[in-house]
Amino acid sequence: MTEKATQGRLEISDLSITYRKPRSDEVFTAVEGVSLTIEKGSFVTIVGSSGCGKSTLLLAMAGLIPKASGAIALDGQEVTKPGPDRAMVFQDASLLPWRTVHGNVRFALELQRWKRDDIDERAMRYVRMVGLGAFADYHPHQLSGGMRQRVNIARALCVDPDVLLMDEPFGALDAQTREVMCDELLRIWERDKKTAIFVTHAIDEAIFLGDRVVVMGRNPGHIRDVIEIDLPRPRTNAMLDSPAFVDYRRRLREYIAADLAALQMVEAIV
Amino acid sequence: MMAAILRRPAPLCALISFAVILAVWQAAVDFGFVKAFFISSPSRVAFELVRQVKNGELAANLSVTLYEFIIGLAFAVLIGGLLGLLASWSETVQHILDPFIWFKYSSPTIAFYPMFVAWLGLGEATIIVMAFLFAVTPIYANTLSGIKNTDPDLIRAAISFGARRHDLFFKVSLPASAPILIAGLRLAVGRALTGVVAAELFGAAAGLGYSMSYYGQKLRTTEMMASLIVIIILGVIFTQALAALEARVGAWRTGPGR
Repeated sequence: MTEKATQGRLEISDLSITYRKPRSDEVFTAVEGVSLTIEKGSFVTIVGSSGCGKSTLLLAMAGLIPKASGAIALDGQEVTKPGPDRAMVFQDASLLPWRTVHGNVRFALELQRWKRDDIDERAMRYVRMVGLGAFADYHPHQLSGGMRQRVNIARALCVDPDVLLMDEPFGALDAQTREVMCDELLRIWERDKKTAIFVTHAIDEAIFLGDRVVVMGRNPGHIRDVIEIDLPRPRTNAMLDSPAFVDYRRRLREYIAADLAALQMVEAIV
Repeated sequence: MMAAILRRPAPLCALISFAVILAVWQAAVDFGFVKAFFISSPSRVAFELVRQVKNGELAANLSVTLYEFIIGLAFAVLIGGLLGLLASWSETVQHILDPFIWFKYSSPTIAFYPMFVAWLGLGEATIIVMAFLFAVTPIYANTLSGIKNTDPDLIRAAISFGARRHDLFFKVSLPASAPILIAGLRLAVGRALTGVVAAELFGAAAGLGYSMSYYGQKLRTTEMMASLIVIIILGVIFTQALAALEARVGAWRTGPGR
């Protein structure tokens, strides 16, 4: 691709995010002191038990929630609001139910003011790329959960972002569909290797997809470790049982288990 | 045999029950069980309708009623829709309007009639205001709840792709609430017709309601019923048309899941 594909380096430094609880002055710290550099073209997954601030961190990268302190820079530019250099894949329910598959992909192009004359064709190209060519005229309620997530991915990719942000996109899918979707996502990602950041609570998914796995802990949300995944690409399902994979899985499980044990202790004291 | 008829599809059953009522009505009068003076009869009403079509009486009354209905409904849609939009964007506006909507909801609208007679006199202006008052509440309430309760997931997704305010309104909130807006319109149409006819009954120089009260006072049941039939037909046509529109606009809501 052109020069654009060489961009997409995210630099997060000492980032904190706080929420004010509704109808009170109490402030809740969701993420504290997070520093992380994500190289262009790399695939980074973020895991952690629920409530560790992983989704909050992703939303901040998207520019959808404000920072309390610290900085997020994309290719040296401070992130303050959503922009065409980033695109987000949400969980299931974010497709417009009155639009068709094609219409939903087109929606993103319309919002970013793409030229009218090739907008339909471009949307169709991405619908085909995720394997939904035959379903272009279907409405979301006529599709399976996996198919809906394909539409979500097509919608995010068609605007040609530098960074792809994914918030537990396969969280609502059954185990088999999840595996298929992971394979599919990697197949699509390998084509032009955009920077990808993928939040999940599934450990296997995180190892299988990522070049690096960021492990987050809670109270408040922080980074506990960053694990380099030294498995060759393209990744295959056979790797799931390789000694290296099993070892990564064991290490990550220990982190999550420790986090949950700490939580239970806190609850016992309280 | 009865059981066989009851197993038929619903429209057929409805048609049969309707025909039976008409036949019993006609027979009761023809065989002298009830005097036509009290309840008229289907054949008399039919002949009366033909007479009124021929001499232009029906057209005159129908056009007046339709005119008042359309103007009243149009004001209700414009003002109710606009206030609903403003209230959906600003909680302050909503709170300012709240007490009035409350009064409006909890009191019978017809109670406002004498006040408007005092202000605007008997006739067209008051009738239009009554149609407006009857119709405005569902338009306001449905616009407010439709726009305000747009799925926040959809809004957030649109914002993440750089949607601006007018994109959010025209491409997300408005289509998302279209079925609720149409449902409000359907309620408003029925209520506007109620308002027009009720106001015409009390004081008008023309119109279907006027015709009913005029002939009613003269105890001319047949003429009165002819106007009543026309009003019923109007109501059925409007509600059915809007129900069809509602089904079309909300087609994406049917089916499994979202």
